Amino acid sequence: MAAVLEAISIGKTYPGGTVANDGVNLSVAAGEVHAVVGENGAGKSTLMKILFGIEQPDKGELRLEGKPISFANPREAIDNGIGMVFQHFSLVPSFSVYENVVLGSEPRNGVRFDREKAIAQVRALSEKFRLHVDPLPAVGDLPVGQQQRVEILKALYRDARILILDEPTAVLAPQEVEELFVAVRALVEQGRTVIFIAHKLPEVLEISNRITVMRGGKTVGQVNTKDVTEDSLATMMVGREIALRVDRAAGRGDVACEIKALKITSDTGSTIAEDLNLQVHAGEILGLVGVEGNGQAELLEAVAGLRDVADGAIYLNGESLRPLSVIERRARGLASIPEDRLARGLAAGASIAENMVATRLADRRYVRHGLLDLNAIKANAQALIERFSIRAGGPAFAVGTLSGGNMQKVVVARELAEQPKLLLVNQPTRGVDLGATQFIWKSLTKARDGGAAVLLSSADLSELLALSDRLVVFYRGRIVAAFHNSDDLTPETLGTYMLGLNTQEPETMRAALQ
Amino acid sequence: MIELLMTVFSATFFVTVIRTTTPLLFATMGGLIADLSGALNVALEGMMLIAALTAVIVSVYAPWYVAVLSGMSAGALLGALMALFHLRFKADIILVGFAVNILAAGGTVFALSQATGGDKGTSINLQSKAIPALDLSLLQAIPGVGPLLKSLLSGHSLLSWLAVLTVIAVWFFLYRTPWGLWLRGVGEYPAAPEAAGIPVNKVRALSLIASGALVGIGGAQLAMFNYVGFTRDMTAGRGFIALGAVLLGARHPVGAMLAALLFGVFEALSIVMPNLFNWIPSELIQTIPFVVTILALVLFSYRAQRARQLRTLSKI
Repeated sequence: MAAVLEAISIGKTYPGGTVANDGVNLSVAAGEVHAVVGENGAGKSTLMKILFGIEQPDKGELRLEGKPISFANPREAIDNGIGMVFQHFSLVPSFSVYENVVLGSEPRNGVRFDREKAIAQVRALSEKFRLHVDPLPAVGDLPVGQQQRVEILKALYRDARILILDEPTAVLAPQEVEELFVAVRALVEQGRTVIFIAHKLPEVLEISNRITVMRGGKTVGQVNTKDVTEDSLATMMVGREIALRVDRAAGRGDVACEIKALKITSDTGSTIAEDLNLQVHAGEILGLVGVEGNGQAELLEAVAGLRDVADGAIYLNGESLRPLSVIERRARGLASIPEDRLARGLAAGASIAENMVATRLADRRYVRHGLLDLNAIKANAQALIERFSIRAGGPAFAVGTLSGGNMQKVVVARELAEQPKLLLVNQPTRGVDLGATQFIWKSLTKARDGGAAVLLSSADLSELLALSDRLVVFYRGRIVAAFHNSDDLTPETLGTYMLGLNTQEPETMRAALQ
Repeated sequence: MIELLMTVFSATFFVTVIRTTTPLLFATMGGLIADLSGALNVALEGMMLIAALTAVIVSVYAPWYVAVLSGMSAGALLGALMALFHLRFKADIILVGFAVNILAAGGTVFALSQATGGDKGTSINLQSKAIPALDLSLLQAIPGVGPLLKSLLSGHSLLSWLAVLTVIAVWFFLYRTPWGLWLRGVGEYPAAPEAAGIPVNKVRALSLIASGALVGIGGAQLAMFNYVGFTRDMTAGRGFIALGAVLLGARHPVGAMLAALLFGVFEALSIVMPNLFNWIPSELIQTIPFVVTILALVLFSYRAQRARQLRTLSKI
């Protein structure tokens, strides 16, 4: 097969000295699904930005159908038949589907925007490529899976022959992933080429023909999908063998945290979640499953004391948490690893040492007579950096200078420095590389074995299935299913409940809710 | 009270309202375009003031339309300056806007004293020109409604008619042309037009320039029709009221026009009321447009919040 798009020994160094790409090679054949895999920070995104004209390479060259080419901006890439679907959608929420699709290349009638023609074109396109979306509603009202289709239609409307999908499955439920794969296969059948960026290996193995593996800004190799296994691919990605397996809880203790008939409303008064009843035992991890925005995050915030509760009760070891402030809750053994480490978990401009004592400013060990004990704070940070193997220049370095994985480790180190009784965890490994993921998972299970009751929410189902002892599924602010974790429990089963396609018998649910 | 009602429902009052609304309407349209492109233009006030002075000085030496054009260009130039500082040098748009306002407050007084040879208050000793009014006396010939039509429509500034056309043009541009779609896209979610290859910063820069040009015309109208001649701080907060009108009008040209008209009515009231109620201090009456602005915005934000609540409730 002839290469339709080639990148030859691409080098890219960002101002500040980060070498993002160093001698990267990529050769994509016409009509194939070519996966590019690698950990976060391996340089995948930079390579894609270069292919799409957002960044310009310092070294190397791009070839399109054998001819050298360079793109000064995305427009030129688009004009040459390259389309890109970003992980964060580039859609204007209040615009309708068809307005979003044609934005930038609108059909015109004189100076007027020809709406009828735009609608007809979008309809025809979505039929041709089996990407069914109604052109008329506002994009902001559509579910994520549909929004992604709009993004793909956008690229196809601009006649993209080569379509780059950047981590397309990260935001989708399993059923939606299947639908996406159907569409990808339809695209390839019609002669289009798809470049698929991913880090979930089973998906890569399912959809791709060939795989290019990147690590540390370099290409490690290019393989045919049929020749590799998940383990060999993971080893290529990380450069050493890695085992993403964790041990289940040996046994659980008494009920530590109990949530009764909890109701959470938004600031405007609409209900976010209601009728939540949960028990978490000491020494177990309870996974909160659900498509993002179905109430899991709000439940964690409510328990942490970051969000008001409209009705119901939360108990920790028999004591009601509702009248207590965040600091009082923490004093009773609550720890929380929040979803957004930069917005809620850390002060990016402050040092590692300062971040690590930020929750302990009432502690006599670090604060005496209203003054910070800098030596004790520094010693504490040094100990934690070592214990959690955080890669950093030292305790005085600003947290904002660390990589995503190391930042997350700082949060984890602070929250787990002392054994918590109740641990709230939301998206612990989002944007974190495999090595750090492995470490964070181990830290969570260690806290569990030490007797913590853990509430875990994650957009990554495989993470939930790997760590949880029990799982509850949220759909539209209610718990619709509960399971004891076992090898028989699959992402697909969970997916049917996450999308509200299936409901569980009340008795089965009650049994698994205990 | 009867007297007030008599005054309000008279044709002369209507003409006054149109006169007070016109500069506000241009400023409002200017504010709307900048706001929709995602660059809140808090410098409307300063731009209007500088444009007013520019127009007055130019009108001493050139015909009135050249003076209006120069006022418009002064506004556009300030818009370009804001775009330069905000988009190229990455300064905060609000701070840049206030810098323009401060520059205008001091700079106009300085320029005025240079132009008049020392007068720091008014341009009274400059022979500045006025914008002609459009005489529609021929409407009187229409049987029946003729006299009424004449008294309502005749005698407005040419720019008042232009203002009405501007509202229609802005609406057509925003909702019926591809470029309007670009502008609204850039304002709401810049990542989307950027990914589609639309030059986001260029769209914003052009919006700021257009914004300045529109408010510049408003400044010319203020100093060449509403008043003939320049006085220091003569815009008296109109630029900020225009920002309020943009929000109150739900960021839509027609809504913003109605909001500008509402403020125009209250400004007109503050002009006629001192003659009718001489026992109320005129300073108090002059605060009416500003008090109404605040009340209207509070009411608007309350209603918008209610509407959001109802919308989310109906979704469930």
